Amino acid sequence: MMPLAMAKAGERVVIRKITGKDEVRQHLAELGFVVDGTITVVSELSGNLILQVKDSRIALDKTMANRIMI
Amino acid sequence: MELKIALAGNPNCGKTTLFNDLTGSNQYVGNWPGVTVEKKEGKLKKHKGVTIQDLPGIYSLSPYTLEEVVARGYLVNEKPDAILNIVDGTNIERNLYLTTQLIELGLPVVVAVNMIDLVRKNGDKIDLAKLGAALGCEVVEMSALKGEGGMAAAERAIAVAQQYQHQELPHVFTGSVEHALAHIEESISGRVDARNLRWYAIKLFERDAKVEEELALDESLKQHLQAHIADCETELDDDAESIITNQRYAYISKVVDSAVKKKAAKHSLSTSDKIDRFVTNRILALPIFVGVMWLVYTIAIGTLGDFLTGWTNDTLFGEMILGSLRDWMVGAEMAPWLVGLVVDGIVAGVGAVIGFVPQMLVLFLMLSMLEDCGYMARVAFIMDRIFRKVGLSGKSFIPMLVASGCGVPGVMASRTIENDRDRKMTIMTTCFIPCGAKMPIIALFAGALFGGSGWVAVSAYFIGVAAVIVSGIMLKKTKLFAGDPAPFVMELPAYHVPSASNVLHATWERGWSFIKRAGTVILASSVILWFLQSFGVVDGVFGMVDDNNTSLLASIGRVVAPIFAPLGFGGWQAAVATFTGLIAKENVVGTFGVLYGFAEVAEDGAEIWSLLAADFTRLSAYSFMVFNLLCAPCFAAMGAIKREMNSPRWTFIAIGYMCGFAYVISLIVYQLGLLFTGGGFGIGAVVAVALVALLCWLLARKPQHELAARTGAKLKD
Repeated sequence: MMPLAMAKAGERVVIRKITGKDEVRQHLAELGFVVDGTITVVSELSGNLILQVKDSRIALDKTMANRIMI
Repeated sequence: MELKIALAGNPNCGKTTLFNDLTGSNQYVGNWPGVTVEKKEGKLKKHKGVTIQDLPGIYSLSPYTLEEVVARGYLVNEKPDAILNIVDGTNIERNLYLTTQLIELGLPVVVAVNMIDLVRKNGDKIDLAKLGAALGCEVVEMSALKGEGGMAAAERAIAVAQQYQHQELPHVFTGSVEHALAHIEESISGRVDARNLRWYAIKLFERDAKVEEELALDESLKQHLQAHIADCETELDDDAESIITNQRYAYISKVVDSAVKKKAAKHSLSTSDKIDRFVTNRILALPIFVGVMWLVYTIAIGTLGDFLTGWTNDTLFGEMILGSLRDWMVGAEMAPWLVGLVVDGIVAGVGAVIGFVPQMLVLFLMLSMLEDCGYMARVAFIMDRIFRKVGLSGKSFIPMLVASGCGVPGVMASRTIENDRDRKMTIMTTCFIPCGAKMPIIALFAGALFGGSGWVAVSAYFIGVAAVIVSGIMLKKTKLFAGDPAPFVMELPAYHVPSASNVLHATWERGWSFIKRAGTVILASSVILWFLQSFGVVDGVFGMVDDNNTSLLASIGRVVAPIFAPLGFGGWQAAVATFTGLIAKENVVGTFGVLYGFAEVAEDGAEIWSLLAADFTRLSAYSFMVFNLLCAPCFAAMGAIKREMNSPRWTFIAIGYMCGFAYVISLIVYQLGLLFTGGGFGIGAVVAVALVALLCWLLARKPQHELAARTGAKLKD
């Protein structure tokens, strides 16, 4: 496992685990970040990411991306 | 029969477009999440007694953001007769996550699959009948943007509301979870509205604090339910909330697999993603952003806008209206006071403001285009790492950008920021960005004293941005704002070609509110100002005065003027203008129009310029401009601050901070300016240097909370 923040643009990855406070995890889940879900890294800007999740694009900063393990 | 239908759906799924279509109203539609922050009501066209309620966009019914709290409160407590759930057909899986929760509320639901035109264009197929059967509610298709199917969807919602039969809820949850939920339902049935039973049961399972508080279950029952929930958690080795989320998604993907046929391979990059790879590229992102902004402001304030404003001010108002109106009125032998009121009061005051409308419209038009195509949302992403350094989040950028049009919607746009501290900080600093109404002040002084140099406007924006940065760093270190900024999570809309109607509508909306203010607030204050400065007491007799230095207004102005003397503009006119600026910032210019136009018959704008140039030096003019850009915003924006802060203490802190900061910066600018231009080293310079030192210390010192934490640790040792 490694944090999502380390993924490169263009990579397609599977979420293994999501850590952090309950409300943050809950919000991520509402946006489609769930364990075993597949996401694609569209773009990366110094650790901040734009991700393709279930047909939508979500922007995450590095702190958040570090909470998602792939 | 009175019916209420609520529009609910994910952010940016087209609710407001549909709302406008259904009710014929003109709510503002933007292409980023969080445009609708308050619920809005309208009457359905051609259907008597049917009210449509536009709710803010939400991802779920858990209260993570303020919008979710607003929407959830309405749906659960006020219980609309039917919910029309708008679902983005191009992103159906994520959207159905909310749909399943809405259905659990037990109210009649009609699902409208929006953007069906895009779905078809992508070559995808959605089997509406199958989807409806799986969800246990009616499903229709529509395209809000093209105006197709919206009314039909609303009519289905009316029909469902009128003859609703309770349908069996879809079987979302399985195994021990379903068992636990049924058990909770049994224990709380009778305590909650029967229709909402399932929803309450799920919320209790998730340990939703607000619902627990609302139901106030007794301790023994609570513990009994707790045991059931804990059993589930051990069995599935996950926490209650995640269990619910996972089972919900599992159910949804089953439904989607059977009802939706996609043409493109899963996870392939769309055109929008390909644009993103270029525009938000790590090397190109910032240069592209700077280039775009430079282009926008050069066109709006420099070339095209400048030309249009020049024409309106000098030709339209200066020569055509002002000159000929006076000639006509004098020719018709009207009373001198009436000529004065109309020409010097109303036309000079309101005209000075209206002259800036073309410039504003050009700026708004371009910002609306950027917004509608989806670029603005990316800007928040690109700016995040920069804003983070000054203690704000990238999301603060949108309120600030909106505030460059008008501070009121800017302050309101801060609502999309989930974190309380970040939101308050954004509210406090947003009004530093020069709004549209402050642009006339900048343009007036640039023209009067700086030979129309474009650098004045550029420096004004720079001062605004610098004020935000300096305040961000300073405030972040106080105890009030201690802590890390909240993480940045934001959905980005797909890029699309801006729709002409949306762009024109957004431009007009913003421009119109500007014009409306010119016609109301500014008209009224121009009349009052004209009265105050035309009448006065001379030799113990009250009457019209020839020289406005003896007017009532001058007497009032002279009382407050000394406050501004250290800033270099101690004349009573400047003091009055600053205060009328609180009513509306455009008034500053309007006031000068009335005050200086009086004595010398303003034939054209330049007439005021020369008079202004006589009363101000370049330095004092710049100091005046800085103060008026940074100090408390207009009453409307202060009202917005009060609403958003929702606390007298915080409102006071915010406005007090702005005024104090403005005073300090103006003083530094003026006194140090004097010093460097050979004004000698006086007490003013000493104060200015001391203030600079204080600012530097506030910027560089250790954050207060860290200090407190460290001393706390020391004490423990």
